[in-house]
Amino acid sequence: MAAPVASPKLLFNDIDEPGLCTREVYERRGGYDSLRAALALTPEAVLDQLKASGLRGRGGAGFAMGTKVSFLPKGAMDKYLVCNADESEPGTFKDRELMQKNPHLLIEGLIIASYAAGANRSFIYIRGEYVLQADALDAALVEARNAGYVGEDILGSGHSLSLVVHRGAGAYICGEETGLLDSLEGKRGNPRLKPPFPANQGLYQGPTLINNVETLSTVPTIIRMGGAEYAKLGVETSTGTKLVSVSGHVQRPGNYEIELGIPSREIIYGLAGGPPAGRQVKCWFPGGSSSPVLKAEDLDVPYDFDSLGKAGSMLGSGAIIVVDDSTAILDVAMKTAKFYRHESCGKCTPCREGTNWTVKMLERIDVGEATPMDLEIMASVQEHIIGNCLCVLGDAMAMPIGSMIAKFKDEFEAHIERARLSRGVGDAAGSDLALAAQGTLDAGPETLLASDPSGDQAPGEHAGDPGTHQGGA
Amino acid sequence: MPRPEPRTITFTIDGQEVQAPENTMLVDAAKHGDVEIPVFCYEPKLGGPVGACRMCLVEIEGIPKLQTGCSTPVKDGMVVYTQTERVKTAQQSVVEFLLINHPLDCPVCDKGGECPLQDITFGWGGGISRFIEPKRHFVKPLELSPLIAIDRERCILCYRCVRFSQEISEDYQLVLLERGAHSYVSTFDGHPYVAPFSGNIIELCPVGALTSRPYRFRARPWDIEGSGSVCTLCPAQCNVTVTVRDERALRVLARQNDEVDDGWLCDKGRFAYQSFHAEERITEPLLRDGGQLRPVTWERALSEAAAGLARAGEASAAIAGGQTTNEEGHLLARLMREALRSPHIDSRRAGSLPLELHRALGNPALQATVGDLEFADAVLVLATDPVNDAPILDLRLRKGVRRHGTQLALAMPGETSLDPAAKLSLRFAPGQGGAFAVALAEALKDGDPDLDRLAGIAGTQTSKLRSLTELLKPARTEEDQRPREVVILFGERLTSGPDGAAAATALLQIAARLGMADVDGAGLLEIPAATNGRGLSEAGVLPNAGPGLSDSALPGGRDARAIAEGLAAGELSAVYLLGSDPLRELPDAELWGRALAGASTVVAHASFLTETIREHADVVFPAEVYAEKEGTVVHPDGRLQRLRPAIARAGGNEGVRAGWQVLSELALRLGLDFDVLSGAMASKRLFEAVPFYAGLTLEEIGGRGVRWQERDAASHFPTGASVADKAPALAAPADPAQAREVAGFRSVWDAVEVEHSPALEFLYPHRETVSG
Repeated sequence: MAAPVASPKLLFNDIDEPGLCTREVYERRGGYDSLRAALALTPEAVLDQLKASGLRGRGGAGFAMGTKVSFLPKGAMDKYLVCNADESEPGTFKDRELMQKNPHLLIEGLIIASYAAGANRSFIYIRGEYVLQADALDAALVEARNAGYVGEDILGSGHSLSLVVHRGAGAYICGEETGLLDSLEGKRGNPRLKPPFPANQGLYQGPTLINNVETLSTVPTIIRMGGAEYAKLGVETSTGTKLVSVSGHVQRPGNYEIELGIPSREIIYGLAGGPPAGRQVKCWFPGGSSSPVLKAEDLDVPYDFDSLGKAGSMLGSGAIIVVDDSTAILDVAMKTAKFYRHESCGKCTPCREGTNWTVKMLERIDVGEATPMDLEIMASVQEHIIGNCLCVLGDAMAMPIGSMIAKFKDEFEAHIERARLSRGVGDAAGSDLALAAQGTLDAGPETLLASDPSGDQAPGEHAGDPGTHQGGA
Repeated sequence: MPRPEPRTITFTIDGQEVQAPENTMLVDAAKHGDVEIPVFCYEPKLGGPVGACRMCLVEIEGIPKLQTGCSTPVKDGMVVYTQTERVKTAQQSVVEFLLINHPLDCPVCDKGGECPLQDITFGWGGGISRFIEPKRHFVKPLELSPLIAIDRERCILCYRCVRFSQEISEDYQLVLLERGAHSYVSTFDGHPYVAPFSGNIIELCPVGALTSRPYRFRARPWDIEGSGSVCTLCPAQCNVTVTVRDERALRVLARQNDEVDDGWLCDKGRFAYQSFHAEERITEPLLRDGGQLRPVTWERALSEAAAGLARAGEASAAIAGGQTTNEEGHLLARLMREALRSPHIDSRRAGSLPLELHRALGNPALQATVGDLEFADAVLVLATDPVNDAPILDLRLRKGVRRHGTQLALAMPGETSLDPAAKLSLRFAPGQGGAFAVALAEALKDGDPDLDRLAGIAGTQTSKLRSLTELLKPARTEEDQRPREVVILFGERLTSGPDGAAAATALLQIAARLGMADVDGAGLLEIPAATNGRGLSEAGVLPNAGPGLSDSALPGGRDARAIAEGLAAGELSAVYLLGSDPLRELPDAELWGRALAGASTVVAHASFLTETIREHADVVFPAEVYAEKEGTVVHPDGRLQRLRPAIARAGGNEGVRAGWQVLSELALRLGLDFDVLSGAMASKRLFEAVPFYAGLTLEEIGGRGVRWQERDAASHFPTGASVADKAPALAAPADPAQAREVAGFRSVWDAVEVEHSPALEFLYPHRETVSG
């Protein structure tokens, strides 16, 4: 097991300082100095620093932030800056800690970014479940307003900014940038067709810059260090530090700030302590539940945008979910698929029907009503979803499910066979596998069916899942 | 506002070079090369694409992902493939996905046989389904409204209906509830979807999820045929297709004509066809005999009517109702003027205008079109509530505001449903529309207008009047030298009544001060109270004008109100009511009651047996409804449109006869031969009689109509001398308390056709029921 690595603390600097969420403590620690420094520069100069930093968006897509800012049309008009704080990707909880413990950092970053982008109206769209965090932001916003950081003519710079903290109502799709904009406008939170992109026609049809909490929270650091200095951290196309949320089968789950480009093994084993003793990593999601899973042999892939992309997955939101060998891959697939079925907005066909169908197929496998041929159908359904949807939610299910089918085909097939046997319909009734299913042989850690030997439990067994109810018929 | 003038570009689709207008969406551009890209959610009538169904995925060179053809504007040199394996697989998979939760109950589905889902499954589907799991189930069908049934299992969630409700009719009632595969269309709180244009969603639905309750299970597509005509139930004159089975109208669908209706219908136009076959239809001639109306032969009815009218001679009069065709109006006017030598004929509800004002308002240079409402920089809606006067224009105004940024101003005595869409809403005192127009004309005058006094008379605010002036005629800036296109949409009630002439003069002054005559896309558009009000005026059904607004009318003609007074006072003795029920439709029912009671002969030529006819008619001729009619009508913007018979006339051989035929036979009995032996001949006589219709033929009018202002013969319009520089004189209040009578104008929804259509019964207040 590797020893924990030391990473520079930028975002998490002093994060556990008592009272950091107040302006007093924040300013004592150098807070809002970056804002003053930025306002002393021209907006173009600030933008140049952002570009030089090479900062890539931390929300999931990994788009270069400076470039995104420069997409906004120039000229005097109402421009909007929206902070996406609808952190809903399963396994992701980094923004939560940032906002709760250091809300002023986000507010400061947001003001600087608005100055660079020429935006004069801004919103923080925070997911509804983050009550504590929204309260912290609200309180910090009052302080920032009172100090003249938000409002008309900020610190005499001539730059004005309004800022509203808007609480969402609990839909994953409202974290998709255009769904977020619709929701913010008071509509049903459905993704919009792109183009037009938000940079041209976003909130209220105006030019809109949308950034993640972590991205904006990094901005004060970039101004303090200088873009070029910041870019020295990390690796060439993935600069700086990143917060990773590690969860699942690890001994020390939590948020860690790492320098991009370190081996993934150092995060999972070094920082998070790896799986409990005696267990092995079976697979891991490197960037939230929507990233294709990697296996244990991929643990040495450097943790940065491009390396993970080359390995067939993605860095996404930086949420590492570790699954060890005590869990059946079917359960992982089921949990993932059910989440996306439940959260699919229903606007476009492949996502709406594909997520629904995938769950139904997985349930059939689980109760022994499937054959190995169904795996092929399921794999082809994933292919039909990927790239054909209105937004990326469909892909967010199809990519991990597709990767699981491809990488754990044998286990799926064994599961199918075992479940069929327990219903008494398998080809190999009476074989060792059949006996294993009946509990007379030890079939190892994957005997999840042992608790359900009859196998005739109805599909919708996960009764708590609202996704299975029949829509108010 | 500049209309789009697209450049033609060349792109390649499936290997062939095709020319198409630049920036049209690929699915439309592909049609120029005879390539069909399947769609479900795409419907240009609903505005911008949403890209929800993903049926139209195509491959474009240089773009890695498949793109939706509905939302990709075509560019010069684009290379598009719709037949590659990748595209086929994607399209097949979308069909497969859509059918997963579709019940496939086509044998019992009204849409079966005319269903895009069936057609696209056949054309682009894989032919098999790999889905063996249970489908989603909903209770079905539900009443979405008294008119519409919703079957949510069949719904493919294309959003068309919701978009219609949200973005076209702006009633904001339909929403999608729940999420993902459990989404369904509903009203937010489950109340019935009742709105003036709700029926359009039935036609928009690409599957059998939304069906017409009156049409449900009445026919299959192979039992029916469609027959194009024009709805004459209101002045909007939307183009329709009547669905006919066994000579009965079973359904009315929109027949898209962007110059008239954009392909929408109101619920009255869509459902009032039921009245065509109602019990209350008059299907045979009736004669009053012993105080009762009894069926008689046509021969008898015609002789009695002729005798009655002949007895009255010059003391006879005629009123033409709104649905009268130009031809019928023209023949009726000749019957009155030539056979009976009576000058008393009218088609306007509440008083006529001096002929010179009629002509000046009809000046072809001042006429706005329906399309102009959409593209104008500013529209003033003055003394008319479109949803009650010509409903489909309500949608056009909303479209202009929403899509082209038209600035809408409203001036009405009360609130209207358009208020939320308007930039400026003004009020004036009831009956003071004329005074309002005079005040506005004054406000637009150069120099320092005397506004306070005039605004006071009109009962409006001076400050708002100034805002309106600024909206209609803003100060010119250096960079914007484009002439401002302003359209004024006004109701007939403005130019009726004691201030009618003053209002007309003021309108002409406003037009002059806004330079309307010289700006393309600017102008006046009058919504007449009667469907064919414009056509009847032009055909000479006015007390003071002959055909083509000529001054060949006999002198001394009385308008409708004066006719009533004459009948009540015994100065006139016979009246011919052609499609008009004065007690229901004309102002001052009390006066008309006395008038009809006092008349010695009342000839009613009508489709429905109303109380008025039962009480007062001496001879009743059964009349056609529009679906039975042949002839022409004129749209408020001057478009001649053609009615074609869709169903057989009710009542068989001794039943309903064509209007022109009845009038011809009656004229023969009065010694006048029209030489009209067919509907087409009646039209020919009309085109000969109106100079500015010269040379028109029914073929030229065709299915889309033709605006006479756009033909060469328009130069024959008797524009006459300018009257705009005369000072408009408001009528002095009749009594010192300044009280004035306000003429009643009925909403088009309050009509005998609505009353006799069971599907629309819910529009009428619930009748009291006596229990026990």
